[in-house]
Amino acid sequence: MTEHPHVNIKRYRLIRTIVIVWMSVIVFAAFLLNIPRINILEHTARNLYFHVPMWFTMMGAVGVSAWHSVQVLRGGSIISDIRAAQAARVGAWFGVLGLATGIVWARFTWYVGSDIWWNFDPRQTMAALQLLIYGAYFVLRSALDDPEKRARLSAAYNLLAFSTVPFLLYVLPRQMASLHPGADGNPAFSEMTDPVMKLVFYPAVIGFIGLFWLLYTQRVRMSWLAYRIQGESKY
Amino acid sequence: MSTSPAHKWLRGMSAVFMKDLHLELRNRYALNVLLMFVLSSSLVVAFSVGAESVSTRTQAALLWIVITFSASLGLGRTFIAEEERGTVLLLQLNIPGSQIFAGKLLFNTALILSVNIIVLFVLTFLLNTRITDWPLMIATMLLGSIGLAGATTLLSAIVARAASSSALLPVLLLPLLFPLLLSVVHATQNSLPDGLGLNASIDHLVTLFAFAGVVISASVLLFDYVWND
Repeated sequence: MTEHPHVNIKRYRLIRTIVIVWMSVIVFAAFLLNIPRINILEHTARNLYFHVPMWFTMMGAVGVSAWHSVQVLRGGSIISDIRAAQAARVGAWFGVLGLATGIVWARFTWYVGSDIWWNFDPRQTMAALQLLIYGAYFVLRSALDDPEKRARLSAAYNLLAFSTVPFLLYVLPRQMASLHPGADGNPAFSEMTDPVMKLVFYPAVIGFIGLFWLLYTQRVRMSWLAYRIQGESKY
Repeated sequence: MSTSPAHKWLRGMSAVFMKDLHLELRNRYALNVLLMFVLSSSLVVAFSVGAESVSTRTQAALLWIVITFSASLGLGRTFIAEEERGTVLLLQLNIPGSQIFAGKLLFNTALILSVNIIVLFVLTFLLNTRITDWPLMIATMLLGSIGLAGATTLLSAIVARAASSSALLPVLLLPLLFPLLLSVVHATQNSLPDGLGLNASIDHLVTLFAFAGVVISASVLLFDYVWND
């Protein structure tokens, strides 16, 4: 039976150690390294190391989830469904954190001196919608009791939702202005970011993706065990 | 008689459509529910706004809020009714999935289009506005209805299979409708007084067309997985 998630425990422990050490170094470097002080932005620029990698991770998770939903429809195995659901769940947490760090950051830089908390930035809107979609996805999952049916129907919903999201990439920038780097003719990220910051930023992206992998594979194995032990019950 | 595959496919589709139409005309449940919902929510909107004159953007937004919520309530019936009547197995045996989907999609489009036209007249009457660009408004209503029905039909099949209350449908539907709503509200605003008119709205209409195309193609690909056990 190839259905169960097989794990090489030594490799897993190695990667876990690397991720823990790596992220600790990132956190220290993020807060302690000297960065250029720009008016208004000041030390909040350090949020770059956390906010942006969270987004990248969430987008990766959305892709992983959709990929496993395709596998559900092609093969119909429970483990693919567990993978799709857990990628969505962990990805949604990264999305919530990315949204929160983004909102607070924007409030005290782009909208400093105003009372604006929520703004209709295209990327912010997209992120909020993706979270809504995953919310609906989990509501749908909780409404279904039969594991096989739940796998099939929630995969279909996940993929239908996935097909509408790229649309927003086309529609939203035409209807709302963005202050994000690289959008609307704003200077690109690579042009305006200091080399010292890049030195921390790129490893941070790798670190967050590693963290996602760690949490995701853990949750997949836990859900699989719960499924094996409790059979029909929810995972 | 020609019995080419395309001809057979169209016959299957129209059979499903005519069946739903006949059933609907016999007791008019879905239509009556939708009509009453639309009329009462339009009145709620009009009374809440009061005699205040609201901007055309707000008028367009109110119009599409009423339409979206009535669609999410009314269009779920098509597949849930099959489950309630116990006719799912009969349909599965007699007609291939794609024809069932096409027939249901056609029926949902017709239903929501007729409801939309009624909402449009009721709300323009109640909010004391008028439509200055009719071709744009007609195109918007048509493409918007097709997109709305396209997104709803597969979801109502999912909800019917989930065998729980139809309260699930709005939850699943609304996050998907965002690209449609943005374009449709702008296009509607452009067809109201002081709007930019048809030529400035081609971009929105293209988006609506593409949205309907993408959602319907994805639904056709996914429908068999939802429909067949």
